[in-house]
Amino acid sequence: MSDNILELKKITKNFPGVKALDNANFSLKKKSIHALLGENGAGKSTLIKIITGVYNQNEGELFLNNKAQTFNSPNEAMNSGISVVHQERNLIRRFSVGENLMLTNLPKNNLGLIDYNAVAKESKKWLNIMELDIDPNTIVSDLTVAKMQLCEIAKALSLESKILLLDEPTSSLSPQDTKNLFVLLKRLVAEQDVSIVFVSHKLEEVFEICDEVTVLRDGKNACESEQITNLNRQQLVKLMIGRDEQIINSKKEVNFEDKNLLNLQSINTDLGHKDINLNLKKGEILGLYGLVGAGRTELLKCVLGLEKINSGQILLNDKEIKIKSPKDALEKFKIGYISEDRKKEGLILMHDVLSNAGITVWSNLKKILAFLNDQIVYNKVDPYVKQLEVKTPSYQQIVSNLSGGNQQKISVAKWLASGTDILFIDEPTVGIDIKTKSYLHELIIDLSLKGTSIILITSDMPEMISLADRIITMKDFKVVGETINNHNYEQMSSSIMDNIHE
Amino acid sequence: MNFKIPNFVKTNQFGLLCLVIIFICIFSFSTDGFTSRFNIYALSRVVALDIMIGLAMMVVILTGGLNLSLGALGVSAAMFGGWCMESMGIPISISIILVLAFGSFLGWINGFVTVRTGVHSFIVTLATMSIYFGFMTLLTEAEAFRKLPEIFTDFGSLKLFNKYISPLLIISVLTCFILYYVFKYTDIGRKLIAAGANPDAAELSGISVDRMFIYCHMLSGFLAALAGIMLTARIGAAIPSMAGHLGFDWLLPAFLAPVLGGTLLSGGKVTVFGTMLGAILVTLINNGLYLIDVGEFWVRFFLGMILLGAVLLDRAREYFTVKNSIVS
Repeated sequence: MSDNILELKKITKNFPGVKALDNANFSLKKKSIHALLGENGAGKSTLIKIITGVYNQNEGELFLNNKAQTFNSPNEAMNSGISVVHQERNLIRRFSVGENLMLTNLPKNNLGLIDYNAVAKESKKWLNIMELDIDPNTIVSDLTVAKMQLCEIAKALSLESKILLLDEPTSSLSPQDTKNLFVLLKRLVAEQDVSIVFVSHKLEEVFEICDEVTVLRDGKNACESEQITNLNRQQLVKLMIGRDEQIINSKKEVNFEDKNLLNLQSINTDLGHKDINLNLKKGEILGLYGLVGAGRTELLKCVLGLEKINSGQILLNDKEIKIKSPKDALEKFKIGYISEDRKKEGLILMHDVLSNAGITVWSNLKKILAFLNDQIVYNKVDPYVKQLEVKTPSYQQIVSNLSGGNQQKISVAKWLASGTDILFIDEPTVGIDIKTKSYLHELIIDLSLKGTSIILITSDMPEMISLADRIITMKDFKVVGETINNHNYEQMSSSIMDNIHE
Repeated sequence: MNFKIPNFVKTNQFGLLCLVIIFICIFSFSTDGFTSRFNIYALSRVVALDIMIGLAMMVVILTGGLNLSLGALGVSAAMFGGWCMESMGIPISISIILVLAFGSFLGWINGFVTVRTGVHSFIVTLATMSIYFGFMTLLTEAEAFRKLPEIFTDFGSLKLFNKYISPLLIISVLTCFILYYVFKYTDIGRKLIAAGANPDAAELSGISVDRMFIYCHMLSGFLAALAGIMLTARIGAAIPSMAGHLGFDWLLPAFLAPVLGGTLLSGGKVTVFGTMLGAILVTLINNGLYLIDVGEFWVRFFLGMILLGAVLLDRAREYFTVKNSIVS
């Protein structure tokens, strides 16, 4: 008998053409927090889906409390006390907190109708355990992102879960909220007999909160239940990517006295931006930092003409311009936007690589009578697809069949092909493996050295500090600070945080 | 042995082609007169129309929408044509151009309202179906135009290729080739498909999605008007009820052809030749069942069942994603 609450032995899972997991082991000790790490495509999600009953393994066994188990559906796993809290919110936004918490087991009165007093009372119990001061009658959409995250955990607890799988739980939380969450998680483990599997790309967090770590690489164990105290950051990265992390050091000089290429003057928008002033120099990477909901992406969308600008001016080379649509931005002013959401806004997943990479250049390439064939498009985009080292069997491959990293490369490639002067780049490396990430970093710096001006949005502080020349901080749809980046992590991050929390 | 199955065999069109051949075999053996010159000629006249209205629906399904006003629009355009030729005495060629422009205009209304209000085209075209048909009935007082120029009606009963084929079928097949060319080899065709597949991504890539959707509706109106002219030429008169009340008679073949043909209901994929084969299959089944003499109700029953089956197929297709090329 071991003290493992959950144990997976020699798990193999095949998908058509891919071995997602290859003899992988995973064991979770009772009352511990266990980090599950790996690059995208390493097999993390597959492993989680096997634990939660979404998939069945082809080989290997799963033991729960030392008994062999098979889950045929997520429901079975949930009934056995395994809950997963996903990155995407699983709450029904228009329902109250109480209704959401009790959704699978709504208390009923004698007439068989929902007993709302009992709903409030029962859900309050779980909110209290979490030390959450929320009225159960609050509508979920009125909560902050952080509170929603905590409600999800409360919901999992209310199902009497003993194993919690947290998938990137901090991706949209501020540092303060993250700290609170960690205090809570530690308390849950100590007091509620809960064991936690923690999936995150942020290694700092793993060192802060986890007891043990399992790393997957290409479906195999790169390490298995290693004590976190035996490892340092470098070693952990090496386990994940199979080599040392590369630190890029751009020795680039931007002359901030140059005249402005793009200049926003006292912009007020329909979405609530107040008096936004910012300017972009030629060849500069201007960072926009802020928490989720600070209005950064929204600002760029207003500039692109997708939402209404109520007052203020946009100047391009000191001339006032009006941008009516992204088509205008691209064709008249050579401004492009790489979306943060590549699946919904960046790519057409059901179409092939060629039409995704070429979509921005069709208009320029068309011949007489709007004639355009694959060869013409191919000749134009091929150099960029090659430059970005997109791994695809052919240009006819459907984009949804490619890995996340390669998809992102294609949504970058199409804007490189379009040859814009100004690029808005929004969260370029979310959910991307470390190798592709450092590759994209080099590419962005390289682009700016060649004269492309870039506005970069990222919530990844190290990324921001290694790439940006100047960092603008936004909060509540306002600009709250501007700092020239000296690439010193400690100084920069504290000065940015001061801007946000002033 | 290393035998590779050619890609064509795996496509939806190949399956359809097999079905068409199977049904031709079944009906040739089980009925009298299926292969007669008269029947084949009659089939070619019907199939010509079914292809055209299938295409008219296909170009709106491309946007993830529907055009329920198809029949009403086509008949309204045809009645307008009858009025031009008979009452106004406008030359045939100019009348046809006016009719096609009128159909495109009605399609533009569908598209404009859909895009501006953001309401699903199902609702918009449900409304315009009533409006178009109501207006047409009001203006024509439900009277037909029966004294059309002879050259025009003669064209509708012309027999080509040893009297087997109607020239109407040639128009439809030609239209298929033109549409295939547009979707496969032009900048605008690619943009239409991209806008239909993922409007958000297309918009952010510099495509004016609203304009593309309006183009699709205009094209649908154009093709429906063309179908209206063809039907008028075929029966030799423009009659308000020639596509049934509110144009309902056109709706079933309009859906069946593209959905059987492999056009995705969620948008973003067109199958021009699939739609053509789908229309041929529908016409064959219709005709064969009449010849077997199963009765009107059974024919409708079967077509309804086929539509349900085709929709299930559509779901399955979406599930397995689109493995083949986007234009086929």
